[in-house]
Amino acid sequence: MKKKVRSYIINIVALVLLYSLAMYLIGNGTIGRYYMGIILTAGISVVMAVSLNLTTGILGQLALGHAGFMAVGAYAAALFTIHIGTEPQAIFPISLLVGGLVAAVFGLVIGVPALRLKGDYLAIITLGFGEVIRILITNLEFTGGARTLRGIPRVTTFSYVFVMVVLVVAVMFTLGRSRHGRAILSIREDEVAAEASGIPTTYYKIFAFTLSAFFAGMAGGLFAHYVGVLDPKNFGFIRSIDYLVMVVLGGMGSITGAVGAAIVLTALPELLRGFSDYRMLVYSVMLILMMLFRPSGLLGTKEFSLTALIDWVLRRKPEAEIEAVEAEQVFATRHKPALLEARDLGIQFGGLKALDSFELTIEPGEIVGLIGPNGAGKTTVFNLLTNVYVPTFGSIELEGKSVVGLPTHEITQVGIARTFQNIRLFKNLSVLDNVKIAYHNQMQTTPVEGTFRLPRHWREERLANARARELLHVFGMGEMAAKDAKNLPYGQQRKLEIARALATNPKLLLLDEPAAGMNPTETQELMDTIRLIRDSFGVAILLIEHDMRLVMGICERLVVLDYGQIIATGTPDEVRSNPKVIGAYLGA
Amino acid sequence: MTFVNQIINGLHVGSIYALIALGYTMVYGIVKLINFAHGDIIMVGSYTAMVIMTELTGLPLWVGLLIAMLAAMLVCTTFGVVIERVAYKPLRNTQRIAALITAIGVSLLLQNIAQLIFSPNSLPFPVAIRVPPVAIGEMTISFITLLTITVSVLLMLGLQAFVHKTKIGKAMRAVSEDRDAAQLMGINVSTTISVTFAIGSALAAMGAVLYSTAYPIIIPTMGAMPGLKAFIAAVLGGIGVLPGAMLGGFLMGVAESLTNGYISSQWGDAVVFGILIVVLLVKPSGILGRRTSEKV
Repeated sequence: MKKKVRSYIINIVALVLLYSLAMYLIGNGTIGRYYMGIILTAGISVVMAVSLNLTTGILGQLALGHAGFMAVGAYAAALFTIHIGTEPQAIFPISLLVGGLVAAVFGLVIGVPALRLKGDYLAIITLGFGEVIRILITNLEFTGGARTLRGIPRVTTFSYVFVMVVLVVAVMFTLGRSRHGRAILSIREDEVAAEASGIPTTYYKIFAFTLSAFFAGMAGGLFAHYVGVLDPKNFGFIRSIDYLVMVVLGGMGSITGAVGAAIVLTALPELLRGFSDYRMLVYSVMLILMMLFRPSGLLGTKEFSLTALIDWVLRRKPEAEIEAVEAEQVFATRHKPALLEARDLGIQFGGLKALDSFELTIEPGEIVGLIGPNGAGKTTVFNLLTNVYVPTFGSIELEGKSVVGLPTHEITQVGIARTFQNIRLFKNLSVLDNVKIAYHNQMQTTPVEGTFRLPRHWREERLANARARELLHVFGMGEMAAKDAKNLPYGQQRKLEIARALATNPKLLLLDEPAAGMNPTETQELMDTIRLIRDSFGVAILLIEHDMRLVMGICERLVVLDYGQIIATGTPDEVRSNPKVIGAYLGA
Repeated sequence: MTFVNQIINGLHVGSIYALIALGYTMVYGIVKLINFAHGDIIMVGSYTAMVIMTELTGLPLWVGLLIAMLAAMLVCTTFGVVIERVAYKPLRNTQRIAALITAIGVSLLLQNIAQLIFSPNSLPFPVAIRVPPVAIGEMTISFITLLTITVSVLLMLGLQAFVHKTKIGKAMRAVSEDRDAAQLMGINVSTTISVTFAIGSALAAMGAVLYSTAYPIIIPTMGAMPGLKAFIAAVLGGIGVLPGAMLGGFLMGVAESLTNGYISSQWGDAVVFGILIVVLLVKPSGILGRRTSEKV
């Protein structure tokens, strides 16, 4: 907490100094019209780059139509100012807000259908929408069309741009480090795992995309009232690309990187104006070289921190973030463990019945093993239970309530958590964050509370930290909280995945080959951990495993699958001597 | 203009889009890169052809055109291969977006080099063919239209045969399916990718000459629009699928021509992008594309 306050003070002092310096230089004429133009343009670029970074860097969705939202905001704000008429100075803040809101509406309307697509397809469809916006503006009457929109009061001042930049960057940092920001990051890292950790991924994709459009719209408003004339040609595909280049060059996901790259890339072509014939040539060559030698951008995913810089200059060791651990239980009040009933469950892929007439009952606190040869349909069962696949027929009930057709994140919320056969961690996030993301649904901080860091945000963050550390401690991983998940050894990664699943506070835990790739010692440890989970967390466990020592050692009951059919059920001893099982494994 | 004429006009432009789209789709299929510089290869091809044709004034025009076409193919192929080797290959195993940005850089670089050499102003493309229109029944079709459609269709059929009947074609299909596995089977992945870029660029050169014959004005940024539309054509048909690029190209051309003819030329682009959006929402993998889903 002390560290946070110090950091706030340092940043606020720096901003006040910067602002005063700029105002002084403007006042005495050192910054003339020409440099002012560059500064304002750079500021607007910063807002654009930082907002695009939210979609592309933090949410991880490539968008090529960001200039479209800027255009919508620019025209909306400009038309508002023009039509309200009197006192453009006074209504300018409202104009900006109007620009942002209209752009946000466009973001929402476009985002809902478009965000169902991923990767390059999303990139292309956003490109398409961006171009459609431009063509609409060109051909409509009230926008002035291709004849341009003139007579916009030029009321954008340095102060407005400065405040806007500070606002956008601050929101990105505070919101980004709340539970909502973590939810958005988790989608970038692994969408399937995010959904399985209880994150409503569709909601957060649209949320981030719309917020990004909102800020782009505000930037558009600033732009309109800076240039005074709007020409639809200004908002083409190339402009979207310009901002994307800033984001990538700064380092995808790095907010301060985007700020730096936006400033450099706006100022650089201006500074090269002396050799105007060659400046774009130099620019393009630098772009290529930058990417070839530093493909992850200037800052990578790191952030520049003034506080850290000062600490480094003063040779101060950064204070370890020790937070008082209060053992109060606000979230994670444990409910009574599960009763799962699957009846006549099955799924058909084309002509292939991957699973047929599957029956399973799991009593509270039971450990059940699901075994069978490769391709028997074991993981399919997990995918049906968590609605990654929708069953063709049959029913699944948890404590008497049907969960068929619920989105995966809601299934996680009602109490079924899972791990994956091929580990799916949020690789570039810390071990601690991996677990904290899974607490998402047990926290109530709203986006507004998170952005302004209101008391509930702090209270819940403290608790989430404490509980996550406690959980990691149980798994013997307390020391590794700050490491990136991708740097853990294999066995630890498996454990972390289990810890993350447990953090969602499940009634039933599905483990998909937890011992795969582990050595005998690690497997032994894992068996102890699984028993511990059942005993101290009161969770029922269904596990898929090929390691018979583990299966026979801890499961109370087994279900054996072969070719999508149950061929045997019973205690480990009964199953071991069942001739059908022996046949399935040995091919008799 | 009758309806049939509009369709034929559409096929004319569409076949050019299709030729260019093949380059996008082949490259995407094999290295999963949206090659933004592909549009500028068209520009390179047009300028090369123009220079050759203005130099070779002594020869009959159609001979000049033929030589110009071959020269454009040679230059574009070289550009395509060199660009891949220098700018994309080092980034083959990093984040895909890095290569995308590099492609944008290459695109800007080509445009700016052209500006330095030829000035940013537009230049006329010498029109080589003055053959009277061909009459079929009651309607007449310009010779260029007929030539463009014929040449494009032949090239596409040739490419299809090449990819499916030859050894290197098989290597291309293997690499696009699984690069690592192809390598383990003894296929030289780098050579295969180079060949892909070479073919794509050669087709773009053909497209460039045919495009410039139809719209005889060339400027350094001329590649952007046909490039973008050809790219959309590739997505429309199903990116990575060769017949898809052809189908997409023809559809785009016809849709554009009908909008220009019956609605207004200002809305032509809107219709093109509108179709793109609808197709992506209804069937994201394109008309002939295969559906892929992630295995959990």
